[in-house]
Amino acid sequence: MNATELLAQTGFPAPMATITLAHYLFVSAAMFVLGIIGFISRRNLIIMFLCTELMFQAAGIALVAFGRYHLDFTGQTFVIFVLTVAAAEAAMGLALVVLLFRRKESLDAQVWTDMKG
Amino acid sequence: MDTILNPFLLYGLIALGAVGVAIALPRRKAGPQIFGTIIAATAGGIGIALLTLKAGKDFPNVYFYIFSAIALGAALRVITHPRPVYAALYFILTIIATAGLFLILSAEFMAFALVIVYAGAILITYLFVIMLATQAPEEDEIEVLTEYDSSAREPIAATVVGFVLLAVLTTMLFRGVDHLPVTPVDRTDALLADMPRKVDRVLRNHGLLEDGQTANVILTDDGGLEAVQIAANDGADVYALPREQWPAELPVKNIEALGFNLLRDHPGTIEIAGVILLMAMLGAVVLSRKQVQLDEDAKLKQARMLSDEVEGNEGTAAAQPGATV
Repeated sequence: MNATELLAQTGFPAPMATITLAHYLFVSAAMFVLGIIGFISRRNLIIMFLCTELMFQAAGIALVAFGRYHLDFTGQTFVIFVLTVAAAEAAMGLALVVLLFRRKESLDAQVWTDMKG
Repeated sequence: MDTILNPFLLYGLIALGAVGVAIALPRRKAGPQIFGTIIAATAGGIGIALLTLKAGKDFPNVYFYIFSAIALGAALRVITHPRPVYAALYFILTIIATAGLFLILSAEFMAFALVIVYAGAILITYLFVIMLATQAPEEDEIEVLTEYDSSAREPIAATVVGFVLLAVLTTMLFRGVDHLPVTPVDRTDALLADMPRKVDRVLRNHGLLEDGQTANVILTDDGGLEAVQIAANDGADVYALPREQWPAELPVKNIEALGFNLLRDHPGTIEIAGVILLMAMLGAVVLSRKQVQLDEDAKLKQARMLSDEVEGNEGTAAAQPGATV
């Protein structure tokens, strides 16, 4: 008895023949969640920005996968705009980070808690 | 519809991954991070192994599993590595693996654009800023990690929030996704109707189209491709070129279809993207030109550093009496 039959006996559905849309969406969701966790828990401003880029990547995977699913190229076109926004965000965000660093000599996000309203 | 994984198994794996990530996040005293990484990687590995087992003997697309494992593993290291430079390098690895996933999805242009724009441009900017905004260690001093790099803020709460979100997302994904409609016709090759010169050139190069003949692309009513016809100029002797006889260059390629989609269907958005990039450039220039007012602490610190340097120089000058000061 091979592993597949064993799994089938214990109530698992039949083997999947191909990679489905759900596989890609799962990878996309997991990557997005890793980005969120990093954004919440890391304290370095640059790494927080890096985590937003991670979330952009995840969104891009989902867009391209849906585009392939619907045989429509708009998903890929949209990824180009995601790239544009990511580039703009990196330029602005990193300029701000450099500015903040020069002011307090620290990249800690918690140094700036006095900016709370 | 079939579920890909048993939901209980899936949620078990998600919980295991959450525990691993929570342990792997950097914290003040060195210790179990490596075990956390191992636990999270084990959860991911078991998930992927189950998916592969269920794929049976065919191994439908083993590259999907390889690329997604690399992408997720590198993403985990991005958020857990205490050193920003390494985090950025792991992010480049994530991007390259994602480009591999795009290749499997037959999005070749996006894969290359991703490597060029993301890994080549954006991440290099990040590396520059990391280098600029890190205090260089003093000479003959071991580099110590700053406190904000070596300890995470609320690692457990963040992980719980993240993985609850993942559980919710995957529930939606396993219950609802397959009910989406699939587009009935493939409109990709119908774009040949917009590229008469390409059709002409390719067919002529392969000797399928002779002088005195023209090639026509016939579309169905709902926008799909019906046939590529070759007709003599006088209207007689019309026949359709069967798909098996198409030259390899004739079908529409990803980049051609993407170009039509981008420039014909979404021309306005391109202009908007250009404006966004211009504004970002202006904003970055304006921001970085601004003179920074140091606050009191930083002023004091800099003054102390400067005075230390001056004293140090005087000390060496005094030690060498012959030197001109």
